[in-house]
Amino acid sequence: MGLESIPVVTQSASDGLTGNAAAVLREIAARLESLAKEGQSGIIDLGAMPLSPADKAWLADKLGQGEVEINLELDGPSHVRETRYAGVWWLLHHNPQGAVTGEFIEITRIPELVLAHPADIISGSESLNFLIDDLC
Amino acid sequence: MREQEGRLVASLAQQGISRRTFMKYCATLASMMALPPSAGIAMAEAMASSRRPSVIWLPFQECTGCTESITRSHSPTLEGLIFDAISLDYQETLMAAAGHQAEEALEKAIEDNKGKFVLIIDGSVATGLDGAYSCIAGRSNLELLKKVAPHAAAIVAMGSCAAYGGIPKANPNPTAAVSVSDIIKDKPIVNIPGCPPIPVVMTGVLAHFLTFGSLPELDKLGRPKAFYGETIHDRCYRRPFYDQGKFAKTFDDDGARNGWCLFELGCKGPITYNACATVKWNGGTSWPVESGHGCLGCSEPDFWDGGGFYKALSMPANPLKLAAGAAVAGAAAGVAISFANRAKKGAAKAAHETTTLADLEK
Amino acid sequence: MNEMQLLTWARGTGLDFAVGIFLLGVLWRLIEIYSLGRKKDLSAARQAAGASGWHTIFRRSVPAEGMLKKSPVSYIGGYTFHIGLAICVFLFAPHIKLIQSLTGLSWPGLPSQFVDLIAVVTIAAMVVVLVDRINKPVKRYLSTFQDWFTWTLTFLPVLTGWMAVQHLLLPYTTMLAIHILSVELLLVFLPFTKLFHAFTVFGSRWYIGTVNGHKGVAV
Repeated sequence: MGLESIPVVTQSASDGLTGNAAAVLREIAARLESLAKEGQSGIIDLGAMPLSPADKAWLADKLGQGEVEINLELDGPSHVRETRYAGVWWLLHHNPQGAVTGEFIEITRIPELVLAHPADIISGSESLNFLIDDLC
Repeated sequence: MREQEGRLVASLAQQGISRRTFMKYCATLASMMALPPSAGIAMAEAMASSRRPSVIWLPFQECTGCTESITRSHSPTLEGLIFDAISLDYQETLMAAAGHQAEEALEKAIEDNKGKFVLIIDGSVATGLDGAYSCIAGRSNLELLKKVAPHAAAIVAMGSCAAYGGIPKANPNPTAAVSVSDIIKDKPIVNIPGCPPIPVVMTGVLAHFLTFGSLPELDKLGRPKAFYGETIHDRCYRRPFYDQGKFAKTFDDDGARNGWCLFELGCKGPITYNACATVKWNGGTSWPVESGHGCLGCSEPDFWDGGGFYKALSMPANPLKLAAGAAVAGAAAGVAISFANRAKKGAAKAAHETTTLADLEK
Repeated sequence: MNEMQLLTWARGTGLDFAVGIFLLGVLWRLIEIYSLGRKKDLSAARQAAGASGWHTIFRRSVPAEGMLKKSPVSYIGGYTFHIGLAICVFLFAPHIKLIQSLTGLSWPGLPSQFVDLIAVVTIAAMVVVLVDRINKPVKRYLSTFQDWFTWTLTFLPVLTGWMAVQHLLLPYTTMLAIHILSVELLLVFLPFTKLFHAFTVFGSRWYIGTVNGHKGVAV
């Protein structure tokens, strides 16, 4: 038996707002401002905040949809989505079973997770050279 | 590539775990441990580049369930892989070496990593008969612990037995079992109780140690606050039913079928501090209460002697033996006193002298 | 002794002793009181037998004329905390479970949020009654050690129970153990202090009412 068979009253998106989402939105704005002025990036862990489903829906609605969407397959799907505001990214991590394991707002030019790591670039370059050597 | 040999990230890569997967894992781990989100990146960097930490795992009076919990998930989990990736220099269940070879490996690991290795202990320490109840290679657990512990950087007491004595310490405790912290007083000890403990707690502690070089914040009972900060009851999805007074009365009634609160069936959720309700088990599949059974309180000290797994917390831990006797004694005392009172009244009546008119006129 | 052992002791040995002393005391005193009897009243009854005893049981629960205005705290506060106590003790689900396990009797409980609210009201009423007792010179003059002591005995279980549910000050396990211990203290002292009125109040009212009726006092 799953959770859905238990008579839990679900709140619609219109109510159930705790007011915390507005605070998160202000924090995003402040961090975006410091990214613009000082180049300082930041992360907000949505899992660490008492946000109701309605709060998250409200926040997603306010932040909107940007141009970039990246899907990653990292031991379960992960999803990186740019919001309407350049520099504000919404990250959603799932485990292989499909449950959400983490949800973050990252305020940066591009999320750390997407960037290729220098050490990986070096080893990639080495591997590619080995491949070319083998061709000859 | 060469300089990365022996690094955690390289050994993960060999097993097909990409750096990004590892970073994602660290981000969710940091989130779970209530660390600032930036700690996830720091953790990934520090763990990826650090040398594989030497870990010595000593099994004492235990059932190997804790080892099973970490290594025997149905599919390889990151907990399991990180566990493989650390330099596990001594673990009897997992190591290939046996006999004298194994003991030599232990000596060598202590010698090579003096003051730097993490000592994991599972199982309680038998102290009866000088520890003779549990011996490895002719040495008692007690002796071994006292010998190895001084050289460790930190000690992790894995499972309820190592942390609080667990089942071996349950009444009547024939082996005089005690916890690790009862013996070792001068080393940082992290207790990771549970029977077995949740694997991610173990990796969380190791990750914290590798990243920050220190142990995570602990509560009064030596447990990482991040995982043991709240009770099962407070984070339970069935909590609304408790508040509404909707309880399952038996394991097969309508209440049980509707997923109502298991308090009356003996759930120890209200007094059990653990992360089962949020982290869950078997890759987030389920956990005891979700599968319809109350919490046993396995991560609490002396849970085994806590008055019965199927007795509601508000019920007497033991049958009241004195009540009937006391009631009889009370009734007897009441009757006895009433007879005494009657006798007093009778005596007073007998002593009463009738006053006549003549007496008054005197 | 750790928290769990304390709780197990409170639920086990402690409860055993407390309930034992409670039963012993209650039976002892009830039998003693009711077996005392009174001398036969040889005077003729002034009034034909009415139900003065039963009337008094009821009438003494209603403030006498003008008294409600004169000391509202005693009446309203007293009522509030007595009813509140009854609700908290007898209609909170875990308490019903305890009574069921001891006696086999059970009845439906109230939602825990409601009981929580009642507990707060009860605590407030008890504090007000205490402050009134301290502030009013006559009440203070009439108060003996037993009055302060029994107030504390009654107040502690409500306070600690509420704090345990709200997770205030101490971890739930410890607070629950303290709550149970405070109830055990109450059980131990109840039969031997003025708290015994829980058992005797209606009996004594009936007795007084009957005697008064015999003397011809209007019902």
